[in-house]
Amino acid sequence: MQHVPLLVICGNAAAAPRWDWSFRSHFLSNQTAVSGREPTRASLQMDGDSATTDASQLGITGEYMASSHYVLQSQDDDGEENLNDHEDGGIKENYREQDIYLPIANVARIMKNAVPQTGKIAKDAKECVQECVSEFISFITSEASERCHQEKRKTINGEDILFAMSTLGFDMYVDPLKLYLQKFREAMKGEKGIPGVSVGESLGEDLTEDSFTNPLPAGIITADGQQQNVMVYTTSYQQIPTVQQIQFS
Amino acid sequence: EEEEEEETPDAKKSISLPVSRVRLIMKSSPDVSSINQDALFLTTKATELFVQHLALSSFNNGSGKDSNTLEYSDLAKTTEENETFHFLTDILPKKILARDYLKTLEQMQEEEEEADL
Repeated sequence: MQHVPLLVICGNAAAAPRWDWSFRSHFLSNQTAVSGREPTRASLQMDGDSATTDASQLGITGEYMASSHYVLQSQDDDGEENLNDHEDGGIKENYREQDIYLPIANVARIMKNAVPQTGKIAKDAKECVQECVSEFISFITSEASERCHQEKRKTINGEDILFAMSTLGFDMYVDPLKLYLQKFREAMKGEKGIPGVSVGESLGEDLTEDSFTNPLPAGIITADGQQQNVMVYTTSYQQIPTVQQIQFS
Repeated sequence: EEEEEEETPDAKKSISLPVSRVRLIMKSSPDVSSINQDALFLTTKATELFVQHLALSSFNNGSGKDSNTLEYSDLAKTTEENETFHFLTDILPKKILARDYLKTLEQMQEEEEEADL
C-alpha cells in the first residue's frame, strides 16, 4: 500500500491499535504553548452527522477513546508488518524542532507577496506553511550538519548550507543565494569601521617626519582677553593632487 | 504573535524574517554545535525563497487559482505531487472526512476477516 498520510477529522479520535495503522498524536498543546495557536486545524470538515462516540459502532473498545486529534497513517509497505517500531519513531518525531516556529505575520506577509495580488490565503494555510518552514530549516540544517561532521568541522558554514540545498533538491535557490551573499558581504564591508572607502589610487607620497615639522599657528583668546599665539603641532597635510581617497587603516 | 524585524543595517533589511528565531530552530537540530554568520543568513534568505516557492506552487497548482484563495488542501496536494516538497509529507497530511475514513476502516476489516478464513 502506498504511504499516504491521512488526517482524520472527528470530535473524538479512536486510538485502537487493533488494525494495522500507526498512530501519531499531534500534541497540539505543545504547539499551542509556543505559537499561541488554537488546536483547531484538525477540527474542520466535520461531516453532517456528529461523530459517533458509540464505541461499539466504531468497533473499538471504550478505553481507547481519547479527545485529542490524531494523525493516522497507513503503513509504509505491506499490510502485515508490525508497526510498533514505526509508531515509536513516529511519536518521537513529533517532539522535534517543529515546535519552534517563525512568527506567522512574517510568514504570511511573504506568502501574500508571492501569490498574485488579488489572491487570498486561508488561515490554516498560513499556519501550515509556518510549520513547513520550521521543517525546511531543520531539514537543511541536519543535512549541512552531517556534511560538517564528515569533514571533521564543528561550525556550519555557508558552503555547507549551499551544498545541502543542492543535495536536497533546492538547487534552484543556490544561485540567487550566492548573489545575495555577495551583495550582503559588500554591504557589510562598507559598514564596518570608519566610513571607509577603499583607496582609489595610491598615495603620491607617504607621510614622512617632515610632515610634522610645520606647526600651524592658531590664535586663542584666553579668559582675560589677551590673545596668545599657540603653536599647534600637527601633521601637515600636503597637497597631493594624485590622491583621491585615503584609507584609514 | 507580533511581527519581528531586525534592527540592522541596510544589508540585512532585505530579509523579512527574524534571524534569531531561525538560529533557534537550527540549533534545535541534533548535533549542531555552532553556525557561522554566512550560514545563518543564507538559511534565513533560503527560507524566504522557500515560502514564496511553496505558496506560489500551491496556489497555481491547486484550486487556489479558481477560487483565488490558497487553501490547506492546495498545500497538501502540491506536497504530494512535487518531489521537492516530499519531505513535508508527514506534516501535511491530506484531510479526509470522518465518514470516509470509517468506511475505509470497515472495508479493511472485512478484507482482513476474509483473508483469515
